[in-house]
Amino acid sequence: MKRIILTLTLCSFVFSSDQVPAPVQAHPILLKDVTVHPVSGPTIAKGQILFENGKIIAMGNRIPSIPDGTEEISLAGKHLYPGLIAANTVMGLVEVSAIRSTRDFAEVGSFNPNVRAEVSYNPDSELIPVTRSNGIAIALSVPQSGLVSGTSASMMLDGWTSETATLKAPIGLHINWPNMTVSHSPWVRKSTEEQKKERNKQLRELDDIMDKARAYVKSIEADKSSQKTDLKWDRMAQVVKGELPIFINANNVQQIEAAVEWSTRQGVEMVLVGGTDSWMVTDLLKQNNIPVILESTHKLPSRRHSDYDEPFKTPKRLNDAGILFCIGSNSSAFQAAHLRNLPYTAGTAAAHGLAKDDALKSVTLNSAKILGIDDRVGSLEVGKDATLFITDGDPLEVMTTVEQLYIQGRKVDMSDRHKMLRDKYTEKYRQLDLID
Amino acid sequence: MIKRILCTLLLGMLSAQVTSMAGLHDNTPGIFALTHVTIVQKPGTFIEDGTIVIRDGVITAAGKKVTIPEDAFVMDLSGKTVYAGFIESYWKKENKKPSIFNFGDEKKKEQKRPVIDHWSKKVHPEASVLDAFHPNDKELEELRKLGFTTAQVVPAKGIFRGRSSIVHLGDWGADAVITENGPAQFMAFEHGSWGDPGYPGSLMGTISLMRQTFYDANWYADAWQFYNRNKDKTEAPQVDRALGTLAEELNGTRQFCFETKHELMALRVNKLANEFNLNVWLKGSGYEYRRLSEIEELNTFVILPLDYPKIPDVDSWEDALDFSLEQLRHWDQAPDNAARMVEAGISFALTSNDLKNRSQFRTNLLRSIERGFSKDDALAALTTIPAEQFGLSNHGKVEKGYAANLMVTDGDYFDKDTKVLTLWIQGKEFTLEHDLPHDVSGNWVVSFSGGLDLNANLELDQTKNKVSGKLVIDSTDVTLKSVENESHRLTFSFSGKEFDMDGVIRMSGTKQGQSISGSGVTPSGEHISWTASWVNAKEKEEPSDKKEKKKESASEFTPLFPEGAYGFSTLPERTDKILIQNATIWTCGPEGTLENADMYIRNGVIEKIDSDLNISGKDIYVIDGTGKHVTPGLIDAHNHSSAFAINEGTQSVTSEVRIYDVINSDDIAIYRQLSGALTTANILHGSANAIGGQNAVIKLRWGHDPDGILFKEAPQGIKFALGENVKQSNWGDNFTTRYPQTRMGVEQIIRDAFEAATDYAEAQGLDGFKKQSDPNSLPVRKNLELDALVEIMQGKRWVHSHSYRQDEILMLTRIADDFGFTIATFQHVLEGYKIAERLAEHGAGASTFSDWWSYKYEVIDAIPYNGSIMDEVGVLTSFNSDSNELARRMNTEAAKAVKYGGMSQEDALKLVTINPAKQLRIDEYVGSLEKGKHGDFALWNDHPLSIYASCEETWIEGTQYFSKKRDDKLRKKIDEERNTLIQKILASDDEGGGKPMKPEGGWHEHSYSCSEGGVK
Repeated sequence: MKRIILTLTLCSFVFSSDQVPAPVQAHPILLKDVTVHPVSGPTIAKGQILFENGKIIAMGNRIPSIPDGTEEISLAGKHLYPGLIAANTVMGLVEVSAIRSTRDFAEVGSFNPNVRAEVSYNPDSELIPVTRSNGIAIALSVPQSGLVSGTSASMMLDGWTSETATLKAPIGLHINWPNMTVSHSPWVRKSTEEQKKERNKQLRELDDIMDKARAYVKSIEADKSSQKTDLKWDRMAQVVKGELPIFINANNVQQIEAAVEWSTRQGVEMVLVGGTDSWMVTDLLKQNNIPVILESTHKLPSRRHSDYDEPFKTPKRLNDAGILFCIGSNSSAFQAAHLRNLPYTAGTAAAHGLAKDDALKSVTLNSAKILGIDDRVGSLEVGKDATLFITDGDPLEVMTTVEQLYIQGRKVDMSDRHKMLRDKYTEKYRQLDLID
Repeated sequence: MIKRILCTLLLGMLSAQVTSMAGLHDNTPGIFALTHVTIVQKPGTFIEDGTIVIRDGVITAAGKKVTIPEDAFVMDLSGKTVYAGFIESYWKKENKKPSIFNFGDEKKKEQKRPVIDHWSKKVHPEASVLDAFHPNDKELEELRKLGFTTAQVVPAKGIFRGRSSIVHLGDWGADAVITENGPAQFMAFEHGSWGDPGYPGSLMGTISLMRQTFYDANWYADAWQFYNRNKDKTEAPQVDRALGTLAEELNGTRQFCFETKHELMALRVNKLANEFNLNVWLKGSGYEYRRLSEIEELNTFVILPLDYPKIPDVDSWEDALDFSLEQLRHWDQAPDNAARMVEAGISFALTSNDLKNRSQFRTNLLRSIERGFSKDDALAALTTIPAEQFGLSNHGKVEKGYAANLMVTDGDYFDKDTKVLTLWIQGKEFTLEHDLPHDVSGNWVVSFSGGLDLNANLELDQTKNKVSGKLVIDSTDVTLKSVENESHRLTFSFSGKEFDMDGVIRMSGTKQGQSISGSGVTPSGEHISWTASWVNAKEKEEPSDKKEKKKESASEFTPLFPEGAYGFSTLPERTDKILIQNATIWTCGPEGTLENADMYIRNGVIEKIDSDLNISGKDIYVIDGTGKHVTPGLIDAHNHSSAFAINEGTQSVTSEVRIYDVINSDDIAIYRQLSGALTTANILHGSANAIGGQNAVIKLRWGHDPDGILFKEAPQGIKFALGENVKQSNWGDNFTTRYPQTRMGVEQIIRDAFEAATDYAEAQGLDGFKKQSDPNSLPVRKNLELDALVEIMQGKRWVHSHSYRQDEILMLTRIADDFGFTIATFQHVLEGYKIAERLAEHGAGASTFSDWWSYKYEVIDAIPYNGSIMDEVGVLTSFNSDSNELARRMNTEAAKAVKYGGMSQEDALKLVTINPAKQLRIDEYVGSLEKGKHGDFALWNDHPLSIYASCEETWIEGTQYFSKKRDDKLRKKIDEERNTLIQKILASDDEGGGKPMKPEGGWHEHSYSCSEGGVK
């Protein structure tokens, strides 16, 4: 009898629905008795934060006036952080990486400045709830293919449609810098000469693109213009007019040097993405004021003789050199499903020399600055979005539990496919009387 | 008597005995006396002003006081030196490699082959190399130019390639063959590729095929013997000429010469040699210097190439980064390989094979000699040693009775200015420098008469046979055009403009002593006569910047263990007494976690763990554990590092292949994983087929050789695989024909294999099977594939099965029940949480990922709670890496079980320590810190499940293999060595004719992952 009752009560879990996007914040919410980690300023022990209509309106040790109808939530012993930001991902653009029909991140052709990540973002991807369960509130979804891949979008990991989920788009135009070295891997079929030829052709193409884009701007802005609209050049026009930064994917030191030279010569604003060897050329990056989105720290050292902890300590090296950097993902389809480990990649950087505060910044405020969304997110400050999460401890520690995430003040459904399957099969073992 | 037979034999070679005579008989005189020569009789022995008498291809006398026979043609070779002609020990004619990357082209047709051939087209030991050997004059001359007069011709293709032949390098024909049936069977570790599909597709498969073929050959002999005794009752064995040949060779004295491309391959050959009692030779790789003592212990003869890498391009600091320290060190040490082989007492011959250009051979040899390889040793390696090894009792020396295969030089062969002038082969002289033009360089006075009437000065320059020059008339220069000086005839032309002629004036002439005379025509066709007299030599403009080549000296580097970055200078030694004091010790055993505890390890074994051990002594190595944590060395039950091959994916059942045949103890992954506290790893075959290969459990004893890193006490295992990879679901559209293509078929292929293995076991009445044999049938052929399956059923071999979906997991447990065995682990087992009760009931362990999912369809339901649910239901659960990267961070993988599913911290740590140890059946030795177990432990600077923790020291059986302190020192040493070597390269005169060294970059030649091609 007891078991039947137990079973019945648990049925509610088993038959619960898929995750439902949260409604807009209806009334002010005050989170109190909580350790607030604003990231942009000192930690507030036993702090308070008040948000209304999705925006933080007050915070501190004690907020003097609380509006009527405020929902007050006491979070003794808990911690509050700004929502984590995952740069350089294919979130929403892929579901199962091995299945072609679910891959929407690589358009055909080498020159695709016009394609936009946000339009093929699937807000019902099962990957999204799984990812936000670990405190990740925002992901930069990035097109991947060719030389010029398209424009990226910063997406909030909750929303009914791709449009309501878009925080800001476009963020940047993404370029894959050509390979500057010859690969001798057995998986590369092209000869040394072919590889060099292809590289030179691509480098030439990058210069040509900028020339043509300037010609397009000139032509279209002329008083009497016969220039017809061209989707690709329209987008490139934004770049040459300085309205859209270029995010250049480059890992190898030769690529980084060449990309910096090109962006300086072309007078475009550059963000370095990947940046495996960035620690070798910190002077160059510093001089040219180039921020870096590192692709994870959880990867192997780049060369056989590299320090075993080389990728772990690259963040510290960049930080010491005064370079604005954040830690993102490597944008592979495989990693999209594993983006929830983002905080631990920052934790690893902290284990290898980076201060814990700086490690936290590398997945929050720094990311927001580099993506140009720091007016909205990245830290807990009055006027910014109430995009934040509650934990029982340090979010960079694996064992910490994320209890609740708010995105623009909306209380996000913390369930996900994994928890549902867990509940379903836990029920199986209860039925078999194998667990309590 | 013997000598006379030899002479007769050689005499016979000079005229074709069995060829039909098409024209006149050739009776060119064959008796010569070479006088006043320096005779290098053999390495270390020479005679000055000696005489050699050659009669019909044989030396009949050689020495200081020799009576010259009346019928001999005397050739005065004053100032010349005569050596025994060199023996090329490995003349392999390379065929063009098939292009790789015909990805998925499985329909390639195999040529029709005779039915009595071996089933594998790569096994043809019966082949004679001469069947397909057609050298052209150019190739012969290339060898002769280096001084080679004799060669062992070696077959180039296949695994069992066939027999070599020994030939003269004179005129090619049947009479140039010394031995058709040469001294050795040639073997190589060749395997298929995407462009050449078929078994074996990996190094593992090749070794297994070698092993099976040797067993088959022995069986073949037994089977025929049995049949010959029982002809009336028994069916005859199938005829197979490959096995027939091998059976004879195994019983005889033939050598098996294995081609190696890596020093570790040499060690691998030794294991085969021991298994089948083979007489082994090695075709060396040039990397022997890295494992000299191990190779010396093989006590084998090596044929050594002099293939030195081209100077690496380190001109820019960025490009230099992509050359590994191992590569830079190889550039420096490769030319010392031969000298180091001598020092180590390894017998070897030299070969000009493997070089990009064969002509590089002498250059490279001289480099080695300059660096300290002795001339006598070099000469021996080219003459007496190969002669002795190849059974050429009358070759290799300049002595009476020896073959008149000689090399004549104008000095010491090992001096770079010395020229090889002629060779004598089978008593015939071969001149190497043909048609040397007369030197016409200098200043001449020339007078023309006839159509042109003029006196002038003629200035000619000549380098080799290229001539240029001008006529100087008063102060006017007329440049000569199309100047040629060939076959004693000088021709040139010049413009008639200076002489008021419209067109070109052409001249020709011949040189006689100090004058040239000839004739020519004017543009209008009038005849000209001319003569020129030599005045003086032209003043040569010495290029002032041509500096003397720097003398090379031997490398100051000695190989590390393993070679390259992070290698040890000498192997680390065990610390006999280790005391760790005042640490938090996570025993992962019954004692749980002890605060402020001590651990004492003696002779590599844990002796005591307690809160306050009262142990002291001078010779105790004390580790202060204050504020630190100690855990057992971590264990990864699914790892693909440290192997030269991972998948033999060509067939659905390959239980005969063995990862431990292809262990790569030099993989940098070992060092990196040690830095993450890993001490034991289960190196598994990939998941390309249903029944894959045998795994190897290793201890990460960095620096040791492949045998030295095996976990010797670990029981044997094997990899199975189910689902998408086995069905080739993600391999692309070309892979739709191999059985199975469904999970239904996967079940049947495994069941079928066990049925076959049962029949095989019953035919032999093996342990645990009833005997079902027929006394009249042929002896049972040993089948390594089925042996492995029988061992599974006998409980001697543990199955580790790649799996994802619950249905396939259930399926395999049922097969196991039906055939009476237990699955040791399901690997990945991402839907294990759906049928945990069945796993527990069957007794299978689950070795899973902490949180991987959604990378392919069959992992759509994978959840990070998998581990904790299975554990809770009573399944022995572990977390694995399946990744060289993740294998360095297993501690924080374990922490995910705390996060997802609320497992206790102690239990979580067990997921990467005692639990995988139990799954691998090695928990008696490792996995927890308990009295009597191996002293394998890691020292952490923080809570081991914390993201902020890093491993400070890693110890295996009382030997420290990693420490941060040592790592710091190594980094500095690596930087210093790289700088030293790069500076040496930049300052080097090495002209670098060798093969270019491919910068390793991020691609480490020997790293593999089963994630390639989606085969995880």
